[in-house]
Amino acid sequence: MAPFFKYGFFTEQTGLIIALILGVSFGFWLERAGFGYSRKLALQFYFKDMTVLNVMFTAIVVAMLGLLLFSLFGWLDITKIYINPTYLWAQLIGGLILGVGFAIGGYCPGTSVVGAVTGHVDAYFFLGGAMFGMFVFGEMFPSLEGLYNWGAMGDVRLSDVFNISSGVVALAVVILAILFFLGGEWLENKFGKEGL
Amino acid sequence: MNDIAITSGRMNHGVDPVLHAWSWEIPLYLYLGGLVAGILFFSAFFYLRRREDVFPTAIKTAPLFTPFMLAIGLLALFLDLTHKLYFWRLYTTIRWESPMSWGAWTLMVIFPLSIIWAAFWVKDVFPRWDWKFSFIANTVNYLARFKVYFAWALIAFSAILGMYTGILLSAFNARPFWNTSILGPLFLVSGLSTGAAFILLLSKSPAERHRFSQIDSFLIGTEIFLIIHMFMGFLASTSVHIHAAEMFLGGPYTAVFWTLVVGLGLAVPLFIEIMELRGVKVPVVIPAILVLFGGLMLRFVVVDAGQSSRWLYKFMEQLVF
Amino acid sequence: MKEKPYWSPYVSGLGLGITLLLAFVLMGRGLGASGAMMRFTTALVDLFAHDHVMANPYFAKYAENPFSNWLVYEILGVMIGGFLSGMLAGRNKWRTGRGPNISKHKRWVYAFAGGAIMGFGARLSRGCTSGLALTGGATLAVGGWVFMFAVFAAAYATAYFVRKQWI
Repeated sequence: MAPFFKYGFFTEQTGLIIALILGVSFGFWLERAGFGYSRKLALQFYFKDMTVLNVMFTAIVVAMLGLLLFSLFGWLDITKIYINPTYLWAQLIGGLILGVGFAIGGYCPGTSVVGAVTGHVDAYFFLGGAMFGMFVFGEMFPSLEGLYNWGAMGDVRLSDVFNISSGVVALAVVILAILFFLGGEWLENKFGKEGL
Repeated sequence: MNDIAITSGRMNHGVDPVLHAWSWEIPLYLYLGGLVAGILFFSAFFYLRRREDVFPTAIKTAPLFTPFMLAIGLLALFLDLTHKLYFWRLYTTIRWESPMSWGAWTLMVIFPLSIIWAAFWVKDVFPRWDWKFSFIANTVNYLARFKVYFAWALIAFSAILGMYTGILLSAFNARPFWNTSILGPLFLVSGLSTGAAFILLLSKSPAERHRFSQIDSFLIGTEIFLIIHMFMGFLASTSVHIHAAEMFLGGPYTAVFWTLVVGLGLAVPLFIEIMELRGVKVPVVIPAILVLFGGLMLRFVVVDAGQSSRWLYKFMEQLVF
Repeated sequence: MKEKPYWSPYVSGLGLGITLLLAFVLMGRGLGASGAMMRFTTALVDLFAHDHVMANPYFAKYAENPFSNWLVYEILGVMIGGFLSGMLAGRNKWRTGRGPNISKHKRWVYAFAGGAIMGFGARLSRGCTSGLALTGGATLAVGGWVFMFAVFAAAYATAYFVRKQWI
């Protein structure tokens, strides 16, 4: 029964090898989509290139439906899946800050690594900056601890908060994704799609 | 007399419960020995095949580094000795049954051989080189008449050097992970492969790079084959050997070995080199450095893992990973 | 070798989604990136100021051996996968991503600044787009979705002010 690691099919060490292999796939698909190129990522925010939105939502929908269906068929034990704990205000504010950094820097941590290994020099500067920013956060941590834990809600899912079944939430997400994709195509055509 | 008699090896903390006598010096020395063996082998081999024009880096430039690499390796070896001032005693006797004696004497021969061989080519690589002392220049010119004999000697001794680094470990039967005869060929192939990678790194001619990419790909493939068969051998052997192999199949060395040594050090450079031979443009530096890194990690992991493996398990269950 | 065009975002998204799903099925966890970076940063600082790292409760958590950490191996894989993909498509080239109206060096400064802001934000949110938005989005975690919308909102809002960099 999945998740295999949690059912003892293999040791933690083998899990580390799996991490490497999954990482290879992760990096491969990120580069295939063009996420190593900061300009392509940034053009998302000018409505000129909706790749970021398309890739993210496709990935989320695929993984989400996969989890749902596997759990439904009894192949996967959903209670053993790690759910990111919610710290509502910390993550909201952190997200806003991250968004600002994304627009200015043109990367996010994962894509900057892909950019760096494919020769994008600005990715190295971004990485340096990111490590610096993380260092600053660590240094300031004692005074930020309150903000860091603000809005701690535990491992809540959307289905818990809105009190509807996860299947309905998933449907809503799929519809949202389709709307985003269609809207994205329209916006790309309107604002000039660049042949990147 | 108030003596403490050591009646059992179990009282020696350097050996029990695990051997931890060898730290970084030995893997470094084994690596450099293999690397030098690889470089000198290819240099002598292609010299004998009269490829000086086609493979100038392999024959002339790369060997220039070998005396320094050997010196560093020997220094590491010296630092590892407990009774450093008595190192010379290794050279007062030849013991045919001792791999360590073989090793000491092989190095004793190869070190001057590598210096002389490098001396033959210094003027070709640095045209303005001046020996400063005429007797050195005269000696080098005199010996240069026997280059062919030196080349043959180098082929023989570099093969011995490459093999012996593995045989040295495999002679230590008390460590089950080293108790395999594949270690000798494995370290030889690894040494040749790192030598080829080093030449690739330095080479300036596309023809040479192409040839050494082919050679290196073949050697990496052989190395992967040998590693797989080494584990197959362990798994088909005694339960102690199976336990030793399990350190790498779920145990503490699994991740480091299969990702850093086999993955980054063998599989990824092999893939890149094959793609390169099929026309994909890649800076050759990358697979070369990965191979060199992988070889170093191989030595470190094998030496460390070997020391962790042992025949006694009954009492040690609580200490086992 | 001529540069090949990027693959369709839907195909790449499918590939990414399957990778993410595999992570859940095999390990019971999703992917991530900023955690590994935090570990590298801490390891670097640790080299110079070990006691300081240990005294700080946040750093101390990330100071253990990086080679026993899942995310570190994953990031190593990302490096390999990204490189191989770029290599096969002939896209591995030294260059700087920027719009036509800005110089290389100015772009580098912006990249560093943006990176610093992003690094700070990523740690405050306990994740980045891969670890929180993608993984959290797929598991329908509230934090993940809130985070994702916040990122897009802020990025769209800031984009106007840095448009000279990109267009």
